[in-house]
Amino acid sequence: MRRGVDFWTFVLVAAFAVIAVLLAWPLLGVFEASVTDNRTGALTFANFAQVLGQPAYRTALLNSLLVGAGGMAGAMLLGIPLAVLTTRYVIFGRDALATFAVLALVSPPFIGAYAWIMMLGANGWMRAFLADLGIGLPPIYGFFGILLVFSLKFYPFVFLLTASGLRAISPSVEEAAESLGAGPWRRFFKVTLPLVFPAVTSGALLAFVLSIADFGTPSIVGGKVRLLATTAYNLYTSEMGGNPGLASATSVVLIAVCLAVVAVQRWAVRRREVAGSLVRRPQPVRLSPLASAAAHAVCYAIVLAGSLPSLVVIWTSFRKTRGPVFHPGYGLDSYTKIVGEVPHVIANSFTYSVAAVLLIVVLGTLVGYVLARRETKATGLLDSLLLVPYIVPGVVMGLAFVVTFNVPPLQITGTAAIIVLMLFVRRLPYAVRSAASILKQIKGGIEEAALSLGAPPGRAFAKVTLPLMLPGVVAGALMSFITAINELSSSLILYVGRTMTMPVRIYLSVLDGEFGTASALSTILLAASGLAVFVVLRISDRKEGEFV
Amino acid sequence: MARVELRHLSRRFSGVQALADVDLAVESGEFFTLLGPSGCGKTTLLRTVAGFVRQDAGEVWIGGRRVDDVPVWKRDIGLVFQDYAIFPHMSVGDNVAFGLANRRRPRQEAAERVARALELVRLPGLAARMPHQLSGGQQQRVGLARAIVIEPKVLLMDEPLSNLDAKLRIEMRDDIRDLQHALGITTLYVTHDQEEALVLSDRICVMQSGRVHQVGTPWEVYDRPATLFVASFVGAMNVIADVPVAPGGQVALGASPRALPALAGRDRVTLAIRLEDMAVAGPGAAASPDALVVEGAVEKVSFAGREAFYRLRLDSGAELAAHVHRPERRTLASPGARLALALPVARLHLFDPATGVRIDGAA
Repeated sequence: MRRGVDFWTFVLVAAFAVIAVLLAWPLLGVFEASVTDNRTGALTFANFAQVLGQPAYRTALLNSLLVGAGGMAGAMLLGIPLAVLTTRYVIFGRDALATFAVLALVSPPFIGAYAWIMMLGANGWMRAFLADLGIGLPPIYGFFGILLVFSLKFYPFVFLLTASGLRAISPSVEEAAESLGAGPWRRFFKVTLPLVFPAVTSGALLAFVLSIADFGTPSIVGGKVRLLATTAYNLYTSEMGGNPGLASATSVVLIAVCLAVVAVQRWAVRRREVAGSLVRRPQPVRLSPLASAAAHAVCYAIVLAGSLPSLVVIWTSFRKTRGPVFHPGYGLDSYTKIVGEVPHVIANSFTYSVAAVLLIVVLGTLVGYVLARRETKATGLLDSLLLVPYIVPGVVMGLAFVVTFNVPPLQITGTAAIIVLMLFVRRLPYAVRSAASILKQIKGGIEEAALSLGAPPGRAFAKVTLPLMLPGVVAGALMSFITAINELSSSLILYVGRTMTMPVRIYLSVLDGEFGTASALSTILLAASGLAVFVVLRISDRKEGEFV
Repeated sequence: MARVELRHLSRRFSGVQALADVDLAVESGEFFTLLGPSGCGKTTLLRTVAGFVRQDAGEVWIGGRRVDDVPVWKRDIGLVFQDYAIFPHMSVGDNVAFGLANRRRPRQEAAERVARALELVRLPGLAARMPHQLSGGQQQRVGLARAIVIEPKVLLMDEPLSNLDAKLRIEMRDDIRDLQHALGITTLYVTHDQEEALVLSDRICVMQSGRVHQVGTPWEVYDRPATLFVASFVGAMNVIADVPVAPGGQVALGASPRALPALAGRDRVTLAIRLEDMAVAGPGAAASPDALVVEGAVEKVSFAGREAFYRLRLDSGAELAAHVHRPERRTLASPGARLALALPVARLHLFDPATGVRIDGAA
């Protein structure tokens, strides 16, 4: 059909407007600031020279890469064995393990960081307990702490992607390898592993880029380790007449590193195949009792370690407190305290997240529809532009928003709107992607069938397309909600007292040593996220695959 | 039930001519098939009739009404898809009733018509099932019921059998034919499977590169192919390209040149003959005026009881495949042996080597 200006044209215009105002403009501001002399306003590359030349900044860059590689390696070390064991062998409670892995995935990383401090920090109870047993451990601040948190936080990506890759391999292929004389190890390394390589890589590089972009974990548990993300944040906060040029240059370097990693990821998974309908599904093998016990021990240990921070946080939130000090026994003191002192923080978190999710769902679904059903130059460009939020860390987006929206014509710093818009633009691409991929599974023929049977386009969309999209859209909305309500890094830069959110309050409480308050707020976050996960697992066909 | 007229339709897609001045008419109640290889424009033509593709030039008429500006949902067509396109979130009954709901038929009438349509496609009583509980073949039957229940002016079918396995395909093929006969519904059917086209159709339109090569009954298309393309696309055909013609229409092939009056005045011809139209030549066959006799070396023989297949390398270098019914023992020569084949003149197809167009008067 020949198409002129119609409803979908307006959707495209709206999408480009959103990108121009909320993405291009702020980010160009950061780029501009990075090459501007703070005092004279002249063009200069001095900021970059400093970031790439001075040992302190070079160390930050190097540390960031180390943390990324370490987080990735740790996630693979935990994720791959778990994936192989749960898909290839009979492991009781497999579904429960997967659910707990997903729960670990959606809990905010900074909660993990401070839970481990409560356990293994300077005054950690687990460390004290081990010391009593004669096992002396140094406090975990520093590299070890960061890597521990990241490995346990990001292993579910590797686990879930690898497991779904393994399930998509036809048993016939492995049997063919065996029939040709390959023993179990050779078969695994020569056949199975290469087949799941794209899935493993995909998960591993996701862990890499998230490790580099994360800000909360290193600033809580990192000790003196300087990273790009923390450096950019510190340059900004100590700014206020300080050094926006240097903060911006650091941000640009951070973007460049993330861009490089994402580029590698996309290149590595370019051949990733859609799991076809297998004639035979791989059947899990029953192990000998001894081997089975060992396999169960490994699986449960990994998942338990990953869930431990959340459990500790929930437990802590019910401990008796007076001020910042814990007392023996249990009670609701921490909850009473947060409800009395910071009710607006809890309300803010929910209001902002729901507002952002509503915006995301409406525009994301419409744009997803356009991207899936119309292929033009404009939609191709839009598709590429929507990759940008994937590679810009929250700290940088926060800085960019502050730099741009602190002055007219759009002076909205300090308002709730700026936080909602930030959540909106950062998560919009995920919703667009998910809507588009749902639509690609709904064959275009189905809409044509409706039209051919006499349904006008509006009715065809409402009666056929929308009902088919709905479960996916709701699942996508819940995923957006989870990430929105747990967002720390950008909110930390954008908040003022009135617009504080739960993650920000938790972060500040942890820095002040108020673990009770932090635990109660974290428990609320975990409960909200857990509920959303539960609903997603209920309505989605893809189950835990929905989360990666 | 209606006559469908396609008047001088043309359509280009980014430089590719999908339809080049297609001009044809489907008679009321006729089973009309568009046949051709993928990319020949047959699906584009079907989708133009449906209204999903708008032609660059030309007109589409359905039932005496020009429908170019009528949107799909008002064209009153029934469409059957290759991938079934069953609404997965609706029961079988709701799928079939969908078009009736759009036409605001009373509930009682709709229910009766749905039940009758499901009976017609041999799925009685399955209205409450969900699509995922059905096999592919059953799903396609639902697609068929959904399309016929609205009693459309024209039924459009886009390779409806190509996703089914071989056995089901033949069963379903016969059912479609019976159903179309019983309902007398004008049907436009798209396929790349020539056997399907031959079995089902009243008339076949053979297409290539957006062009109509021939419109005719299955017999005409098979036995009087209008172009070399049709000859080789429909059924298996030996083609001996670019054979020199001596003055007087003498074809110099094999040991015994024959004069073919139709070739008078030409200097080259492309010959074609069906595999089953040749016979093993006995002694003295060379003298017969009714056949060209060619000789060559046997490259391959396969005996399959009722018939035997030969592959022969002619002395001119051309290759000839023959399909001999009830072969005699002496003719089952081993590879390397010499064998003579008689090509009955009446069965020869002659084509202009430059244009590929049939040269008439051959038979």
